[in-house]
Amino acid sequence: MGATLRALRALVLLLGFYLLSLVLLAALAGLDVLVFSWGHGPLTLKVGIITVLLGIPVVRGMLMLRTPKGEEPPGIPVTDAEEPRLWALVRELAAAAGTRAPDRILLTGEVNASVSENPRLLGLLPGRRRLTLGVPLLIGLTEAQLRSVLAHEFGHFTGGDTRLSALVVRGRVQIGRVIGQFHAAADEKVAADRARQERASAKRVAKGKKAKQIDTTGVGATYRTMARIYTAYGRLYLRASLSTARGQEYAADLAAARIAGRDATASALREIPVLSTSHDFYVDSYATLGLQARLLPPRGEFFGGFGRLLTAREPELAGLRSELPEEPAGAYDSHPPIADRVRRIEALPADGRTGEATGAALALLSDPARTLGALEDSVLLDELLTYPRAAGWQELLDASMAAGLSSARTPLHHALATYTGKPATLSTLLDVIDDGRLWRLAEQLPLTEEAAAAKGRVFREFVRPALHRSLRTMVLAEFSSRSLLHWEFSWTRPASVRLPGWGSETDDDGPETALEGALEAAVADHPDTERLRALLPPAIQTA
Amino acid sequence: MTVLFWILGILAVPTAIFVLWLAWVFLKELFSPTPDDDTKAAQAAAELGLLPAERQNTELAAPLPKEWATALAAVRGGDWVPGAEVLTAIGRDWDRRSAFTALLAEIAAEEDTWLLAWEAARRDDPDAAGVRARSTVYLAWEIRGGKRAQYTTREQFDGFHRTLTAAREEIAKAAALNPDDPTPFVAEIWVALGLGYPNAEMDKLWAELTSRAPHHYEAHYAALQYWCAKWRGSQRLAVEFAERAAADAPLGSLLTALPLIAHFEHDESDTTAADNTPEMVARVDAALRDAAAADPSHPRLPELRHLLAFYLHLQDRNEAALEQFKLVDGHVNALPWRYRNDPAGYFCQVRDTVVQAVAEATAANG
Repeated sequence: MGATLRALRALVLLLGFYLLSLVLLAALAGLDVLVFSWGHGPLTLKVGIITVLLGIPVVRGMLMLRTPKGEEPPGIPVTDAEEPRLWALVRELAAAAGTRAPDRILLTGEVNASVSENPRLLGLLPGRRRLTLGVPLLIGLTEAQLRSVLAHEFGHFTGGDTRLSALVVRGRVQIGRVIGQFHAAADEKVAADRARQERASAKRVAKGKKAKQIDTTGVGATYRTMARIYTAYGRLYLRASLSTARGQEYAADLAAARIAGRDATASALREIPVLSTSHDFYVDSYATLGLQARLLPPRGEFFGGFGRLLTAREPELAGLRSELPEEPAGAYDSHPPIADRVRRIEALPADGRTGEATGAALALLSDPARTLGALEDSVLLDELLTYPRAAGWQELLDASMAAGLSSARTPLHHALATYTGKPATLSTLLDVIDDGRLWRLAEQLPLTEEAAAAKGRVFREFVRPALHRSLRTMVLAEFSSRSLLHWEFSWTRPASVRLPGWGSETDDDGPETALEGALEAAVADHPDTERLRALLPPAIQTA
Repeated sequence: MTVLFWILGILAVPTAIFVLWLAWVFLKELFSPTPDDDTKAAQAAAELGLLPAERQNTELAAPLPKEWATALAAVRGGDWVPGAEVLTAIGRDWDRRSAFTALLAEIAAEEDTWLLAWEAARRDDPDAAGVRARSTVYLAWEIRGGKRAQYTTREQFDGFHRTLTAAREEIAKAAALNPDDPTPFVAEIWVALGLGYPNAEMDKLWAELTSRAPHHYEAHYAALQYWCAKWRGSQRLAVEFAERAAADAPLGSLLTALPLIAHFEHDESDTTAADNTPEMVARVDAALRDAAAADPSHPRLPELRHLLAFYLHLQDRNEAALEQFKLVDGHVNALPWRYRNDPAGYFCQVRDTVVQAVAEATAANG
């Protein structure tokens, strides 16, 4: 199907939406006329109100003609003069794909690359093009893989996909919006009805009657029916536009394979889901590690550390790459499943273009370190940028763990403060234990229903894990406050704690084992704090 | 006119008589209601000297020997010595030993100060070690609670598994202290249930156990639970295990209870057809012979009698059932009653039905 035909179909489908809305409005009006001429009294009023209520979302959906403008993501725009090699590559690939090069390049902090165009006159006139390129992609991909990703994006323009997609997208957004409005209205009604029933039910209970099961089925059904009509049309619309959308993805993949090589394209398709998962993990566990201590990694490392993580975890990632994500694509996702795309590319005949441009894509930038620093300035929140910088990752870890421990408020802290009426400190706790009142104290911990009902040994078994955990945190905090604690930073494993006296001992007789044993003794059925006190700094060793 | 009055008057007389009769019946029923069937049956049971539900003991299946009861009372009061003495006296009678160890362990699972005193006074006492191991197993099951998995919380399961794992060490210690004694291995079967031992590991454990005590009642009872469909086996495995154990055991060992229990655990039917097959009748007959041959003071004999009473009733052998009921009345912590929320109520309901059926049969014959 040619581009013009596709545009025509998109237009017809969009017009169908307006037609459907008009028919529904006409039906509602017709109902009103009928009721007003035949009926009388309160019924007329009620039907009138209902039809108006149902009509409002329909009219609103028809009037909201503008597709929401995508806001420009935060990032750094780079000029030809600043990044000549990147621009040259982009121009080369656009030319190879047979389309116009973008007018702007924006580097962002996301694992994503896209080319967008702001079309004018419903896509009949070409608009300005922008390439949005995530720096984490540059970090994780080789140059050849980046070429393939860019060739794919430009491939969409060759087919005229992006210009015409404006119509398709508008229709999708509009139908979705009307359905959303009807569901929101129905939800509101259900919530109100539930609240009313709950009040009534509370009264019944107060009067000693059996509470009625709260039932909200049926409430908001009229709204849902209207939503269903639109959903049915939306399905038709999507089915018509989706096969096109998916066909366009396959075509763009083929273009990428032609321009950048089969192997580079297949490996890029495998790499992107891996990068996406790893980057989420990296941001959660490393980049933002120091936030609770109000500390940032060294300049440039907030994004740059991702490269270190990828290098260190290479064996783990190799495994992830070899298995393709098999989850089916969402019903309304315009992309076909990635596994399917990889299989189609790998089924192409070999083109002999292996081992091309294996250098990191990041090297295309004229000064990667400067770019990584500048990216932080434009992507991170202003508040974060005021935080001081740690000297290195190890310092960042130490500071953040120390901050976490010093501000830790375990359930045991709370119980201890309640029980003794004094600030919760480790030495107070050890005194309480030595007085034989640990299990009285434990009764102040937040307990589950089963633990609260238990007595004797059963009760102690229920609360022991929480006691052990909290006591361990308090002991570590004590060491940490005296700067006796060290944490081992690793790009491959979770941080592990190093107690004072840690050396090259095996795990069996190191201070870690001694601490575990002492903690167990301190929360045993008949607690003994002697071993724990012996491990602690002298100030609180004796009661 | 007068004629009309006459006719009306004559008609009114029977109506008035009928209304008066109704009022009388109503008043009589109000002040002294006719006893219903259940009440009659309960009265008949009371006349035979059988106890009402509220006087049934729901902790035990039968009264304890006097010296056991005294020792347990002393242990509850914190004095472990009488308990230790009973165990010494029991010696190598493995059935009694595991029964009394379990009774001590139940107390220790609640509070173990007395057991700690025992352990401190006699280091490495195998009897104390056996009680310790068994008490930790009880403790684990207390933590888990008696509800089905879906109503048991994560916290309960974690505590259950942690405690059972700890119990394994204590079991190994107790077994090492008295290598002849099967009691620690009986405790381990309950661990196998909770931790879900693979069948192969269960077979190994079973070999250890049977080499020490081939026809131990509690061991067989626990192992049968393991082989049931609801734990780690299936109906077929459970029935096979039960039949083989019953066939190999000498008369009087009470293992004829096992096929009845295997049937009971997997019987989901609402009717009594499955309980009246020739196979089931033969099983009940075998159990009757076994009970008659057993040592009358065997600690597990009452448990078999409870089962017999139930199945004899289901097979309409009510006179024989009544005989068993009379022998065990007063204590109801046994199968099948034990699985109900109100075991005493259930026991009395079935027992009273039996009493009435016997009374009716006697009336019909006499």
